[in-house]
Amino acid sequence: MRGTIAPDDVPATAPVTRRSFVRAATAASVMAGSGVGAGLLRAAPASAAGSFVSTDPDLHMLRRATWGVTPQTQRAIRRMGRGRWLDQQLDPDSIKDSFVEDFIKHRLPDLDMNVKVAYETLGGSWDLMYDLTKASILRAAWSDRQLFEVMVDFWSNHLNIANPHEACWWSRHDYDRQVIRKHALGKFSSMLRASALHPAMMMYLNNASSTKDNPNENYGREILELHSVGVEGGYDEDDMRQSTMVLTGYGISWDTGTFEYHPWDHFTGPVGVMGWHAANGDEDTGYDVALKYIDYLAHHPSTATRLATKLVQRFVQDDPPAALVDKLAEVYLNHDTAIVPVLRKLFESSAFKNSVGSKVRRPFQDVTATIRTLGIGITRDQEGEDALEGLYWMIEGLGDLPMGWIPPNGYPDYADAWRSAGITLGRWNMHVSMAQGWWPASMLKVPDDWVPRLLGEQLPKTWGGAVDTLSKRVIFRKLPSDHRAAVLAFMDKAQDDPVDEDDQWLADWRFPYVVALLLDAPYHGIG
Amino acid sequence: MTTLDATPKTKPCGCPELPEISRRSFLKAAGAVGVVAGIATEGMFTRLAFADAPYAGDVLVVLSFRGGMDGLQVFVPTGDPGYVAHRPTISIPQGSLLPMGGIFGMHPALASLKPLYDAGDLGVVQAVGMAEPNRSHFSAMEEMERAAPGSSLRTGWLDRVLGLRDTGQPFQATQMGSNTAASAFLGPAPELAMWSIDSFGLSGADGPTESARWDTALRAVHAGAPDVVGAPAFTALDALSTATSLGVVGDYVPGNGAVYPDSGLADALRDVARLIRGDVGLQVAAIDYGDWDMHEGQGSVDTGWMHDHLTELSDALAAFAADLGTLMNGVTLVSLTEFGRTVGENGSGGTDHGYGQAVMLLGGGVKGGQVHGAWPGLANYQLVDGDLAATTDYRNLLAEILEKRCGANASNIDDIFPGITNDRPDIVNQLT
Repeated sequence: MRGTIAPDDVPATAPVTRRSFVRAATAASVMAGSGVGAGLLRAAPASAAGSFVSTDPDLHMLRRATWGVTPQTQRAIRRMGRGRWLDQQLDPDSIKDSFVEDFIKHRLPDLDMNVKVAYETLGGSWDLMYDLTKASILRAAWSDRQLFEVMVDFWSNHLNIANPHEACWWSRHDYDRQVIRKHALGKFSSMLRASALHPAMMMYLNNASSTKDNPNENYGREILELHSVGVEGGYDEDDMRQSTMVLTGYGISWDTGTFEYHPWDHFTGPVGVMGWHAANGDEDTGYDVALKYIDYLAHHPSTATRLATKLVQRFVQDDPPAALVDKLAEVYLNHDTAIVPVLRKLFESSAFKNSVGSKVRRPFQDVTATIRTLGIGITRDQEGEDALEGLYWMIEGLGDLPMGWIPPNGYPDYADAWRSAGITLGRWNMHVSMAQGWWPASMLKVPDDWVPRLLGEQLPKTWGGAVDTLSKRVIFRKLPSDHRAAVLAFMDKAQDDPVDEDDQWLADWRFPYVVALLLDAPYHGIG
Repeated sequence: MTTLDATPKTKPCGCPELPEISRRSFLKAAGAVGVVAGIATEGMFTRLAFADAPYAGDVLVVLSFRGGMDGLQVFVPTGDPGYVAHRPTISIPQGSLLPMGGIFGMHPALASLKPLYDAGDLGVVQAVGMAEPNRSHFSAMEEMERAAPGSSLRTGWLDRVLGLRDTGQPFQATQMGSNTAASAFLGPAPELAMWSIDSFGLSGADGPTESARWDTALRAVHAGAPDVVGAPAFTALDALSTATSLGVVGDYVPGNGAVYPDSGLADALRDVARLIRGDVGLQVAAIDYGDWDMHEGQGSVDTGWMHDHLTELSDALAAFAADLGTLMNGVTLVSLTEFGRTVGENGSGGTDHGYGQAVMLLGGGVKGGQVHGAWPGLANYQLVDGDLAATTDYRNLLAEILEKRCGANASNIDDIFPGITNDRPDIVNQLT
C-alpha cells in the first residue's frame, strides 16, 4: 500500500509540535476584509466547471451545506423542499442526532469535563484534545445536523485555536463547546466575547502573559487582524499596541486553569482603537472596558465585510461577488451580528444559485463526502473508536485535520491553496483505501457487499449500463461519453459487453477500484 | 513599554502606499499554485530564449523558518553592548558562544554546523529584511514570497524563477515535507509538494500493467477538468512515472556515512539529497521549518525551546551537507524567515514580532566563514520601532544567488524582482 498511510506507519502518539503555531507548512493567506478570492476555476469557463456536477439545485444545496451528499439526504431535501430543509438545518436542536450524541456520551465521555476538573486531573495529557478531533470527524461524517457542523468548522477556522496544542490540553475541548458550538448559529458578538473570555484563547495567543508592564502583542494583534476587522480593516500599528493594552489583565488562574481577570495587570489611562475610545481610568473596570472594545470590534463594518467575504468564499465561490458581500454585511449589521439571517440571505441569493460547480472540495470534505456517498458506517464500540483513530491519521496525512491548522489564521478556504500533486495523490489513495476497506479497516462496508449495494440487486445487463448505474449512485450523475469510455477501458470492457456475475471486475478485490476511479474523477472533487 | 505615550508611531500595517497590492496578494495562499488564466496578462513574463538549454546552475534549496526566527539569539551580536542591555534575562553569555569573528558568536546549540562555518561552506548575513517592516506573520510571509513590492505581480518569486525554464521534469521544483507548496511557488509554473518520497505512490497500481491501467484511466477522466483540479493530477502522474523509472523510491543510503537525526526537517533534507543524488532534474527545493514564534520561554543557553530547536536544525543541516559531500558544490541553501524579532525581550522570556533577520547560506559557492551585512547597531536610536534595522534587502541577496549560481541574467532579475536596486551583498562566488 505504498503511498497510503498504512496502519503500521501510524505513530502511536501525535508528533509533538511544541507551541508550534507557526509551523506553517504553508504561510496561509489572510482573508483581507475587502479582498477577493482566488478566482477558482478561472482557467476553465464556468460552464465547463459546472458541467462536472449536476445542476440539480437540491444537489447543489447539499454539496455546499453538508459534508457530502447521501442518497438519504437527497431524498429528504426532495421530500421537504429546499426551504424547509434549510429551516430545519438552521434549527439544529430540532434534529434528533442520537447516533453521534450517544457515541460521544458512551465512547468519548470526557469531552463533558469542565475546565477546572480537566486542569486538576489530566496532568498534561493530550487525550481530551485527540478526543475532540475524533468527535469532530464523527460529527462531520455522521451527524444529521449537517449545516451546523459545517458552520462549526467555519468558526473553528475563523477563531482558530490549533488542536492539539500544548498550552490548551485542559481547555481546548471546552472552547469547542462553550465558544464555537454554543454560538455557531447565534451572534458573532457573543462568540467573539466568549473566545476572549476563554482560557484556551488566553493561552494560545499568549494574552495570559501580557501585562501592563510587559505587554505581549500576540492576541492584541490577532483579534484585529484575524478575529474581527482584518489586516486591511483600517487599523495601524498604534491601534494594535493600544488593542494590546486594552486587553491586559485578561488571563487565567494558574490555580484552576480557568479565565481570570487580573486588575493589577491591566493598563489604565485613555485608550483608543480605530475610533473607539475609553477613559479606562480604573483597573477595576478594565474587564468591562475590554468587553466594550471587543463588542465594538464585532459590530465594526470591516468585521461585517470580512465575515461576509469568508462566508461567501466558503459557500458560494472562491472569488466572492462584491454585491453579495455588501448585502450580507448589511444583514449582519442590521441583525446585531446574528448569523442565521446572513446564512438565509446567502442561500437565497442568485449568486449562490448560479455558483454550481464553482468550489473544490478540500481534503477533509473529500473524506467525509466519500464516507457519506458510499454509506460507510461505524459502530458505537471500540471498533468505532478505532475507526475514528484511523480517520484521524488519514486526514492528518492529507493536511486537513479539523482544527489542525497550526497558525492562528485558520485553513485557507479556496481551491488554489489546496492545489497540490501530493494531496491529489493522497486523495486517490484515500478513495482506494475506503472503497477496499483496507484502512480504517474497522469501518463498516454495510451491508456486506459493495456490488448489490452500489449496483443494485439486479445486475445491469451491459457494462455500459453498469457504469451508468454506478456513477449515478456514487457521483450522482451519468458520465459523459469520453469519461464513460475511460472507465470501461479501465476494466477492459466495451459498453455493450454483457455483465457476467462471475466477472473479476465484480469481485471483492477488483470492484472497489472502479468505485475509487469514479471518486478520483473531478465529479466528486468539485462541489 | 509601560505607557502608551511612549509607544512610537508607525506606519499603518499594510503600508499606505501599497493597499492595492496587499489586497491582491492576500489571495495567494498557503499552498497555492497558480491562478493561471487570471495572472497571465498581468504577471507572467515571456519564457526566455535559453528556455530549452539544460540547467547547469546550482540546486537552490530554500529553507523557510516559519514563525519569525530570532536571529539575534542564533548569530549573536555579543560585541554590541545593546544585546545584553535589551535582553537582561535571555541573552546568551558571551563565554558560551562559538566565535564567528567580529562581534558575533554562534549559539552553542549549532555546534554541529561550526565546522562548516570554519570550512567556509556556511555563511551568515545579518540584518536582512524587506524594504518595509511587516510584523504580521501571514502578510509578511506573503509579501516576502511575492517579492515584488510596488508591483501588481501576484506570482511568487520562485515561480518566476521557474518561469525562466520549463524542463518538463516533474521534480524540477519540489516542496518537501508538506503536501502544499509555499506561496513563493504561486503562479503558472508547476511544482510538486510531497510529504516524502516514500509516501509518494499510488495504491493499487502494483506492477507495470496495473500502473499503466491507472495512469491511462486517471489521465482520461481528468481530460477537460478545470486547471486547479487537472494540473496537479497530471503533475502527480508525471512524478509517479519519473520516480518509478529513476528508482528513487526505496531504501536510501546517505553518502559519506552521514547519519540524519530523527526529525521532520532531517527527513525532508534527506529526501532532497535523494533527489539530488538521483539526478531527477531538481532545480528548486523548498522546505518549511516552523516553530520559531517564541513569544514565551525561549529557554536558556543549554536547555529549552531555542536550544532544542537549534540543535535539531543544526544536526539536520550538518547531515545534509555530509551526505552530499562534494555535490554541495552544486547546491546553494538559503534560509528566510518572515521577520526577525524584537530586540528587547518581553515579559514572558520571549520576544515579539520584529524586523531585521539573520539569513543562513550553505553550499560550496557560499562565501562562508563570515557574517555579512552592514551591522546597524542595537542602540535605541539605531532601532526601527524597537527592532533591528534591515540593511540588506533580501531580494538583493536572492538576486545575487540567482545571478552567480543559478544562471539568471540581469534581465531575468528585473523580471523576478521588479524594481530591484543594484546592491548585491557579495555573499557567493561566481559559478565557474
